[in-house]
Amino acid sequence: MNIQRNRWQLSRRQTLKGIGATLALPFLEAMRPMTAAAQGAGGIDPVRMACLFMPNGVRSDAWTPSGKGENFTLSPILSPLEAVKEDLLVISGLTNRPAHHGDGHYFKSASWLTCTTIEHTNGANISAHGQSMDQIAAEAIGKRTKLPSLELGVERVRSGVDTNVNITRLYGSHIAWKRPDVPLPCELNPRAAFDRLFKERAPSSGGPSRDSSVLDIVLQDAKAMQRTLGSEDRHKLEQYLESVREVERRIENEENSVSQGQNITPAAHKEIRELERRVTRAAGRRVRDDLGSTPRIDPTEHVRLMMDLMVLAFWTDSTRVATFMFGNSVSNKNFSFLDGVSGSHHSISHHKNNADQLDQYQRINTWHAEQYAYMLTRLKGIPEGSSNLLDKSMILFGSGIRDGNGHVPHDIPTCVAGSGNGQLKTGRHLNAGRGEPLAGLHYGLLKRLGAEPKKFGDARREIRGLS
Amino acid sequence: MILRAALLFPFLVLGLEAQPLTTDTLQFLKTHCVRCHGPEKQKGGITLDKFKTLDDAFEYHGLLENVLHQVEEGEMPPWDEDVQPTEKEKAALLADLGVISARIKSGDVPTRAGRVVLRRLNKNEYRYTVRDLFGVKFNPAANFPEDGAGGEGFDTMADALFSTPTLLEKYLQAATRVIDAVYADSQLRRKAIFESPRGKEDPVPVARKILRFHTSLAYRKRVTDQDLAPLLSAFQRGIQSGQSFADALRTPLTAILVNPRFLFRQEHDQKEAEEWPLTDFELATRLSYFLWSSMPDRELFQLADSQQLSQPDVLEAQIDRMLDSPKSRALSRHFAGQWIGFDRLINETQPDTERFPEFTRPLRRAMYFEAALFFSHLIEENRPITDLISSDYTFANETLAEHYQLSAKPSGPEMVKVPLDTVNRGGVLGMGGVLTSTSLPLRTSPVLRGVWILDTLLGSPAPPPPPDAGELPGDDTAAGGLTFREQLEEHRKKKECASCHARIDPLGFSLENYDAIGRWREKDANGKPIDSMAVMEGGLAFQSPADLKSLIMGGKDKFAENMCRKMLSYALGRPLRYYDEAILADLVKNLQKEKYHLRPLIKSVVTSRPFLMRSATR
Repeated sequence: MNIQRNRWQLSRRQTLKGIGATLALPFLEAMRPMTAAAQGAGGIDPVRMACLFMPNGVRSDAWTPSGKGENFTLSPILSPLEAVKEDLLVISGLTNRPAHHGDGHYFKSASWLTCTTIEHTNGANISAHGQSMDQIAAEAIGKRTKLPSLELGVERVRSGVDTNVNITRLYGSHIAWKRPDVPLPCELNPRAAFDRLFKERAPSSGGPSRDSSVLDIVLQDAKAMQRTLGSEDRHKLEQYLESVREVERRIENEENSVSQGQNITPAAHKEIRELERRVTRAAGRRVRDDLGSTPRIDPTEHVRLMMDLMVLAFWTDSTRVATFMFGNSVSNKNFSFLDGVSGSHHSISHHKNNADQLDQYQRINTWHAEQYAYMLTRLKGIPEGSSNLLDKSMILFGSGIRDGNGHVPHDIPTCVAGSGNGQLKTGRHLNAGRGEPLAGLHYGLLKRLGAEPKKFGDARREIRGLS
Repeated sequence: MILRAALLFPFLVLGLEAQPLTTDTLQFLKTHCVRCHGPEKQKGGITLDKFKTLDDAFEYHGLLENVLHQVEEGEMPPWDEDVQPTEKEKAALLADLGVISARIKSGDVPTRAGRVVLRRLNKNEYRYTVRDLFGVKFNPAANFPEDGAGGEGFDTMADALFSTPTLLEKYLQAATRVIDAVYADSQLRRKAIFESPRGKEDPVPVARKILRFHTSLAYRKRVTDQDLAPLLSAFQRGIQSGQSFADALRTPLTAILVNPRFLFRQEHDQKEAEEWPLTDFELATRLSYFLWSSMPDRELFQLADSQQLSQPDVLEAQIDRMLDSPKSRALSRHFAGQWIGFDRLINETQPDTERFPEFTRPLRRAMYFEAALFFSHLIEENRPITDLISSDYTFANETLAEHYQLSAKPSGPEMVKVPLDTVNRGGVLGMGGVLTSTSLPLRTSPVLRGVWILDTLLGSPAPPPPPDAGELPGDDTAAGGLTFREQLEEHRKKKECASCHARIDPLGFSLENYDAIGRWREKDANGKPIDSMAVMEGGLAFQSPADLKSLIMGGKDKFAENMCRKMLSYALGRPLRYYDEAILADLVKNLQKEKYHLRPLIKSVVTSRPFLMRSATR
């Protein structure tokens, strides 16, 4: 450690110019005095945020903890979180009012992070009518990390149109909206996600890399093409141009940061290798995608790989903002791999108050909470500064609806874990008050990330009692 | 002032004040509909408060048809509403909406060709196009994110194809991988870099020639010096830094595959015109992406370059040539795959592995190719589209034939055409891919199968269930004394469920002899005999897949209309609008005249106004 510290101090300027890096600066004790760039707003440790979306609601009578404030007992569904209870803030009473319109699922998932009323369409004018809060955060704090944000999931984008309600299914598969009309798809393949985060770029031999030269060329062409287009077409190409610029910046960041071996604590390096072994076991060495070769990963392991990817991305400060979808809205994932469950998620969520169905529903919900607990425990096990990575983070977990049986939009299940570096008062069950807007929580999270908007969704202030 | 403006710009005033619906109609909607279908509640996902002018009625004509139908059938307003419309009020509404509906269908509305927004190549199109450009064998798009879909449910929908930084990163990786693979293969490399400067010859003109060749193909147009300039200067930088001729071409060649002129299909605009024909290059591009999901080949380019492609006889001959090519399998895989839904077998359909260990990957593959080859057979042989409803043949290999217990015994993994001696198989309703994709992981779902028939085959989807309708257990083995069918019958007794399920369930019941992975069965999971008796409202009874097929055959025009709608939307890459309804009516008429044969349908889609033209407004 000492050696590393010395090397850092001696050669920082030089190493920063090094080429061939994969990783952005990890937030290391040893680097803190120097890496102002890696620090969050106001010179404090950077705060990270992940938003984990659970489809199809929860068994209502098994979700809410009993008791209020610090004296609360976890509910059956949340019981797996006992070990991290002190880091947990369960929030009751929230609702996402702009999503009360429209159908039961799509309107309530596409808008989970935008708190807007999405456009009811089968495709011609897709719009969330707002940017999602993770993307607002990414714009504010993601510029200096390798990736401004990371979008992960475990279920394919559902194609086609739900003819029942005449809505493009795309809405059910996206929670991150870069622009009101640009949803960001989730990466599903742990191999692809791993490579993107941690695989070393081939070092380029002086001069600009082929990638930068290519982007340079296409940027010129795109600008020339832009001039020949009508307004709608121009708008489409603008999305492309924006993407080119962003990737350009990413490559520049990479080329300006130090190379992987010099840059990562031995502990993080060890974890990355270990994760790579698990990724390879689950999804092979290369990304494949041919008929019948969809990686058959154990569902729990698939989720945990994605969570570990987020954890390591946060640890190495490769990104500070992540979203994860446990499944698409209306997901009919077969949950028969759980004891006591035989059937699929969406079907079971329409339980008709049948005792057996309710029991299965609860088991599925509890499995989600277990995975959440897994991620929190992992974060908590990683020291950073005077505390740990979980304490520097805010990990949101919830669903767009309460009880899946009736698509109930009130008192939607919501938790945040991690204090965002002491900015949230955790270890509590907070009753925000019936009908308080979900947007007010998002507002509060954005504020703690240093990205305070004037207004977010239907909120102009944060909900009371967060800190 | 307004008057003056009106004289100068008459269209302005028309646009300012759209013609309202009649007062009676507006009053009817307000009194009887909007309370449940308006700003407060949106039952069934339907809102009628926007329905105010004639333009609205055109715009939301699907909704209009729905209202017309519901009121006509007495489904709406619900019988238990306190305030009911009088017969006279109903008749007035039906007459008013009926006139509008008839106007739309006959094309007595402001018509135009429509306008497709700048369209990105989707994942499949990218893959095939790169294959045709550089001859690489692997799929460089394997790790691209899945494209969403819109309109009639296809991933060709321009509006639903976005560009994101993640995707751009992948384009960059894919392009690098493709060009490196070309360089690593001596044959491909010779084809790509077909000339080299000799001795002291200036390398720039040679590079220009090579780049002009590849960009013409990749950008699907006559390239200009301006198009070539950035590529050539990258080449020159390479030469100046001491790279060899071939190495200096590596970056510009890679850049072609990330270039927006390659990744996007642009169609030209004409100032001050309302509507204009596509150029021959644009037509060649539309045509080849419709039939091949890929770029035009050399012959199409030549015909486009000499402006002959748009001549009707040339165009027709080209369609036949293209359909004869194996590349037209893309139409089967991607058009039919998304419409019929057998492409869900690739990644979505997931029978429970413990309950159905027989559902192996080879079986999944065979089911997929059964459907794809079947559709390709219709194309190759110009069969009638009614073969999709019923046929005396299908495609199978040894695995699938055993799974179906066919008397024909093909051997080995190769899929071949096999005759059927049972009327229960044949057509899409007997295909394992369809039957499995419309089942739940642990059991069949007569409801899903019924909905699939209404929606996918007949184009008349059922409304969504109310959210608290509940679902039956996902497993049919633990039925608590009742057979699964009995439970479903119980469920249907609820009044709010009955009317839709009376339409849906019988269709699914008649397929109950097929289990959740498409095998024929006589007994259910609990050992009780299958009850496949189905009775429609009005007493029409039937009980087997064969019966169901003849029932659908009786309504084949509805099937034909739906297929025309799907195909037109797929080909255009945009959702259909009210002004397309008259085009659709023509397609159906022509299809009937041509005795339902597939090729004439494809040809009439290609020669339709919206396919050949582009207009200034959507």
